[in-house]
Amino acid sequence: MKLRSMLAATTAAGLGLAGAATAQEYRIGITQNNVGVDSYQTTYEKAFIAAAEANDMVETVVLDAGGDVARQIAQMEDLIQQEVDAIIIWPTNGEAVIPAVRKAFQADIPVIVTNSNIAKQGFDFVASFSGPDNITQGARSAEIMCDRFKEMGIEDEAQIVQISGQPGYTTAIERAKGFEDRLPEVCPNVTLMETQPGDWNREKSQQVMEAFLVKYDDIDGVYAGDDNMGVGALNAAKAAGRAGDIVFVGATNFAVGYEAMANGDYWGSIYQSPVDDAEAALQTAIDVLEGKDVPFLNYFDTPKITQENMGDFSKPVF
Amino acid sequence: MSEAMQSRPAARTGGLTGAKVGTFLARQGILIAFVLFMVGFTVANERFLEPDNILGVIRSSAILGVMALGVTFVVISGNLDLSVGSLMSFSTIVVLDLHDKLGPALAIPAMFAMTLAIGAVIGFLVGYLRLNSLIVTLGMLSAIHGLTLTYSGGQNMDIADKEGTWFSVFGQGEALGIPVPILIFAALAALLGIVLAKTPFGRKVYAVGGNGTAATFSGIRRARVVFSCYLVSAFCVATAGLIQASRSMGSQNTVGQGMELEVLAAVILGGASLMGGSGTIFKTVIGVLILGFIQNGLLLIGLEFYVQYVVTWIIIILAVWLDVAAKRGRLLSPIA
Repeated sequence: MKLRSMLAATTAAGLGLAGAATAQEYRIGITQNNVGVDSYQTTYEKAFIAAAEANDMVETVVLDAGGDVARQIAQMEDLIQQEVDAIIIWPTNGEAVIPAVRKAFQADIPVIVTNSNIAKQGFDFVASFSGPDNITQGARSAEIMCDRFKEMGIEDEAQIVQISGQPGYTTAIERAKGFEDRLPEVCPNVTLMETQPGDWNREKSQQVMEAFLVKYDDIDGVYAGDDNMGVGALNAAKAAGRAGDIVFVGATNFAVGYEAMANGDYWGSIYQSPVDDAEAALQTAIDVLEGKDVPFLNYFDTPKITQENMGDFSKPVF
Repeated sequence: MSEAMQSRPAARTGGLTGAKVGTFLARQGILIAFVLFMVGFTVANERFLEPDNILGVIRSSAILGVMALGVTFVVISGNLDLSVGSLMSFSTIVVLDLHDKLGPALAIPAMFAMTLAIGAVIGFLVGYLRLNSLIVTLGMLSAIHGLTLTYSGGQNMDIADKEGTWFSVFGQGEALGIPVPILIFAALAALLGIVLAKTPFGRKVYAVGGNGTAATFSGIRRARVVFSCYLVSAFCVATAGLIQASRSMGSQNTVGQGMELEVLAAVILGGASLMGGSGTIFKTVIGVLILGFIQNGLLLIGLEFYVQYVVTWIIIILAVWLDVAAKRGRLLSPIA
């Protein structure tokens, strides 16, 4: 993976030299979190490179921190040294990268944070954040579930459980908060009986759901922090012969979730495309460089997807 | 060697004279701890002891358990294996990928061959080159992770046709009302238990771990024994990967991440010494079950999950203490 990023970086740098004489205007560097650790990040990188190649106005330096904070800080410093026009960062850690972001800010290089934001004390040094709005995603999942309960006529007695992402992870916290705040507004009589973490892991989520099934005789809905965990919960319910009684709603629609929806086992999710994520990050960087008025929190839309409207979306590649 | 001998009388305490019961309890402190926790969780939530729950927990523990069986061999031989988590991810991803390319009948042996080949590399480095097993397997932890990512290109791996394949039998099947993962775990535990306790190879493993120099002077080929232990470990990991793949029919690249420490915890909790030379398969199984039932019991009680991390640690420390206390017949250290 490292080798590939280095190759990508070298190629990009080479292109930079070759392209210096032509009409290319902006050199944009990106340091990613951990390409290859999951399909989302892998697809993101491919989409980012494709979007940059399709645009004659930009050339890019694509780096990957491999999940390592120290390496990401060093990459930030390299990009500052190379005097790129803008830096996009997918933070490995929302706190630890702030000094490096500040350094870029002091060197007059605008920094765009992508996918997951850095901590608040670093906001002054950031030109814009481009990514999904996880609180809205959680709220939308609550609405999907509530609407389904209303269709079934059980919105006054339904009992649900939640399987959240890795404890301490911002995305996990925000989605859970969005869901828990919105649910009582739309469906005040639905009871959230318990929340346990599935750590973004299908197997772990399956174990948690097995315990829930033993503990509760009546479960009408499961909200999972992403489809990977949602499908783990679905597998557990299937094995217990109770999948038919339960409405499953997830987030970050994965291919497995999409398939389970097509099979009628899984009700809904939130469609978050890594391609949109990558393209939005690049576009935000270009807009900043062109001096356009870019909102500080520049969210790309992550719509609801259910069995009813899934035909409007293509199957996720991850 | 003393621990090796200890393991055997456990099964033979048929005549229950007072002295024998005392000796039995002293040797099986971990078993006492296990029974105490089971009673505690049952009091807290009566559903804990329902057959469905018990079977569910053992089935979930089977993956960790199968890996722990192999690592028990490695630990008794005086070495460590921190690569099992990464290697399990590798086996899972490989068998899922090959399933759709070659069909299950070829995918499974191919995956076992590839996993065993990696095990052989580790065994060669630790056994024949005598490199420190901590460094070798720590390095392999990340090397194998890289290998898996290179193989899969970072993509999740899923079986396309999940309904129409007999591959699901290993993780989701049942025979005689018992989930297949439990049967595999039990069969492998019985087999490896016999190998370790009753065969010349098993005795060599204890001898090499207890005192490698003495073992060499006794004519035991130390390198070959260590090498074989890593092959046993790799075989167990491949089996675990098979169960894992079959259970969820799809996987992330990081599915086994962090499991090396859970496996080691189970083996050590079962009483195997990190210094080598002691431990038994039976106690490792108890260690695995304790970890599995703690996780499940805490879920059923419904503790806030941040608290669960702390409570899990307290229970593990309690179990280790009970084990040690039973061995020396008193709660505090006589020297303290």
